[in-house]
Amino acid sequence: MAGEPILEIRDIRKNFGAYQALKGVSLSVQQGEFIALVGPSGCGKTTLLKQIAGFEEPDSGSLSIAGQPMLGVPAAARPTSMVFQKLALFPHMTVADNIGFPLKLRKVDPAIIAKRVEAMIELMQLKREYLTRYPRQLSGGEQQRVALARSMISEPKLLLLDEPLSALDVKLKKVLQAELKRLHRSVGVTFVHVTHDLEEAIMLADRICVMRSGEILQVGGPNDIYYRPADSFVAGFIGDTNLLAVTVKGNAVSAPGLTAADPTVPAQYVAPGLGDGPALLMVRPELITPLESGQVADFTIDVTITEIFCKGGTVQFRSNTEGGAPLIFELPGASKQPADIGDKLRLGFPKRDIYLFRERVAA
Amino acid sequence: MAYPTPTPWMNAKTEAQLAGVLLYGSVAAVLIFFYVPIFTLIAFSFQEGRYPTLPFEGVSLKWYGALFENSGARDALWNSTIIAVVATVFATVIGSAAAIVAVRYKFRFRLPFTGLSAAPLAFPQLLLGIVLLLWFSVLGRAFDFNTGLVTAIIGHVVYITPFALVIVAVQVFNFDATLEDAARDCGATTFEVYRYVTLPLLWPGIFSAGIFAFLLSWGNFYLTYSLAGSTRTLPTFVFSGIATGSSPLYPAIATVVFIPGILLVILADRMRRKAA
Amino acid sequence: MNGEIDRSWRDPELLVKALPSVILQTAFFLAPLLMTVALTFQRTKNFQLTWTWSLDTWTDIFTKPHYWTILGHTLFMAITCVILCLVIAFPVAYALATRLRAFQDHVKVLITFAFLTDATLKTFGWVLFLDKNGAANYLLQQVGFPPATIDILFTDWATMLGMVYNLLSFAIFTIYLSIDAIDRSLILAAYDAGASKFRTFWEVTLPLARPGIWAASVLIFLLAVGVFLEPKVLGGGKSPMSAELIRQTFETRVNWPLGAALTLVLMTVAVFVVLLFNRVYSLKRHMGPV
Ligand SMILES: Nc1ncnc2c1ncn2[C@@H]1O[C@H](COP(=O)(O)OP(=O)(O)O)[C@@H](O)[C@H]1O
Ligand SMILES: [Mg+2]
Repeated sequence: MAGEPILEIRDIRKNFGAYQALKGVSLSVQQGEFIALVGPSGCGKTTLLKQIAGFEEPDSGSLSIAGQPMLGVPAAARPTSMVFQKLALFPHMTVADNIGFPLKLRKVDPAIIAKRVEAMIELMQLKREYLTRYPRQLSGGEQQRVALARSMISEPKLLLLDEPLSALDVKLKKVLQAELKRLHRSVGVTFVHVTHDLEEAIMLADRICVMRSGEILQVGGPNDIYYRPADSFVAGFIGDTNLLAVTVKGNAVSAPGLTAADPTVPAQYVAPGLGDGPALLMVRPELITPLESGQVADFTIDVTITEIFCKGGTVQFRSNTEGGAPLIFELPGASKQPADIGDKLRLGFPKRDIYLFRERVAA
Repeated sequence: MAYPTPTPWMNAKTEAQLAGVLLYGSVAAVLIFFYVPIFTLIAFSFQEGRYPTLPFEGVSLKWYGALFENSGARDALWNSTIIAVVATVFATVIGSAAAIVAVRYKFRFRLPFTGLSAAPLAFPQLLLGIVLLLWFSVLGRAFDFNTGLVTAIIGHVVYITPFALVIVAVQVFNFDATLEDAARDCGATTFEVYRYVTLPLLWPGIFSAGIFAFLLSWGNFYLTYSLAGSTRTLPTFVFSGIATGSSPLYPAIATVVFIPGILLVILADRMRRKAA
Repeated sequence: MNGEIDRSWRDPELLVKALPSVILQTAFFLAPLLMTVALTFQRTKNFQLTWTWSLDTWTDIFTKPHYWTILGHTLFMAITCVILCLVIAFPVAYALATRLRAFQDHVKVLITFAFLTDATLKTFGWVLFLDKNGAANYLLQQVGFPPATIDILFTDWATMLGMVYNLLSFAIFTIYLSIDAIDRSLILAAYDAGASKFRTFWEVTLPLARPGIWAASVLIFLLAVGVFLEPKVLGGGKSPMSAELIRQTFETRVNWPLGAALTLVLMTVAVFVVLLFNRVYSLKRHMGPV
């Protein structure tokens, strides 16, 4: 991943009146990368995309694409293309006209446009007879493909996708996620994909950029985000997880009810720069197992079961520790269930893949 | 403990029947009410005799013939057409632009702007006509002109532009602004965004506004009456005719006046249905 | 809901679109209106306006009950017209918005056409219909009624009929739009809660349609206050309303200051009545139904 970044954003700020939508965002994206922007609704993802696409101008900062400074360049002249959250297909144009529109504006010969549109239709695995239909005559997933085709036909350097899958049902979403991955591989364009679904980001992206209220909190590979979150906000963003309040002293952790033969945590499981004092210990629910008497584990803790949920493949148990903290653990659904609501249980988990980090940094 | 289900004060079936009779009945009654004078006029226009009374002496088209030989009526037809066409163009263009501004843009004095642009809507026409007549009389004395075709057109534009504004505003309100962003993203210049996206999508509204404007002007009495000076349009021609005594000529004129209305309303409906 | 774009008045795009309307309504609506105010303080001599400032016109208006009688009659007619229009328009608008699936478009087209047809002609049509020897009586006679059963032409009844006729469409369309905008699921929720159709209508639909009813009332009232054609042609000019008085003042008496002042009085009183009702209406809303 050497060479010029395709997209270089430095300290971009954007205010709407007194409201700071972007509070100094910097990000650099490599050619051919699939990067996901993740964050809760209203954190400024769309706003950031709009600055990149050129629909809005930031109040300060710099932005360049393929080495060219982009501030002041109108959206039409930027080598970017956007797939909108609500698709924004032109309702008065047929599918063919929609897809071919960017080339028509570039005064490409109509015969060539027709050929390119057909190629796009094929790439998107859409039926040819859709070409003469209007967008509203297509299903949600098909409209999605048309929007993608329209964005890709002009061969942009940067494809910006604003939560393109959020309106679809789960099954279709999975299909299109696979599709996006395939497109990215086969076309080689840089994708900037916005989503509020961290699992989707983990599945699709080479790198993930987590945002919160106008700031970038953490940028890293899927494993970094999953196993080594920067703080409790990032950790809490992906499904259910356990965050135990602990006290760190030296390399050792302690918490009410938590016992360990050797309470020291290896450095690779500790967030960089974490000193002594209060911290959070993250342990994923699937790593926790109930202990029979006599069994041992790196860490053990006694809990009372409060709820049991069946999650299809797994069963989720919710429990309270003696200190009153909630603890979730998951077991394969087929195995014999070890406990009922109200039962007391001893749980254990290994040192491997726990993670120690700061409490959420105040925004 | 379960609460009892609420007891309706009337049997549900009776209620539904009663509502049906009331609702469908009211629609039918209002439609009849609306068309009574219109059909009366059309019927009288085909009668033979010298006075518009029943029973008919016979059925004929002779009053239509008389109409086209009457130079006053011909002039009135011509004036009505000119005024309506010119007023429609101005009112539709100005009103559409103002509608985009009022709905889409945020700016200082937006409320006063919208208020001023829409104000004539709630101003009685006769009074608007009189106020404008005073204005033109004072201006006319200063700059030496008389009221006539041009002043009538100005009056029509003042009165009709707010109607166009309101009709187009509804369309603009339902317009998804991200479509313009999408077009720009596809590489469209400001002009191309208008040409390929904004105008085609606002077109149904602008078109309806145009038709509405034309018919409001075509059938306008009050403003023309005050502002056209000695120039007569069909409505004022008919009015002066009623004042001097009824002649079967007037129902014939009325029927002629209805024709563009029917055609335009049907056309508008076709267009709208095609767009939907 | 739509992205609203911030614009400054220096922005050429805003100027090009906004200025024509501003210039039009300033030069030919606001300015004439202000001049009308100024005119009321002038004098006339031998049917000629003389630009000398005086309060004569206003003294005249406030000392002669004649003007106020006519104004009172006008307001009475206008308010009656509003009530009749609302009562007739509501079921029609409701049926348009909730029933009539298949015919909705046709009915709308028919109403639009009737609305856009020239008022003078339609009013004249009513004369032919209502006349003692007119179509209505002729038809009634054919089915056995005595001659001249309907004899309302040239009375206030005919005037009112004409006013309702010419203004009803405003009420139908405005109320229709507000009913059409009501979320269907609210009505279903009311049924679900056990409300009968009538109850639902009374407690959900009607309150939610209030903005439309209110808008229709204001619009019709302001327009009804200024009618001239109906009292003249259908009412036979027997009990003149304010607009006719104003027209006469300008045309027959050629007294511009007086005509201007009467115009202002009419508009001011009309707007005042609207504000008064608005006040009562919002008070009622704050205190709940009285
Ligand atoms: N044009 C605007 N005017 C005012 N506030 C805006 C505008 N656009 C976005 N915002 C605000 O900025 C914040 C971030 O919005 P957005 O980027 O759309 O969030 P998301 O991450 O959900 O895409 C939101 O609180 C939103 O209300
Ligand atoms: Mg968003």
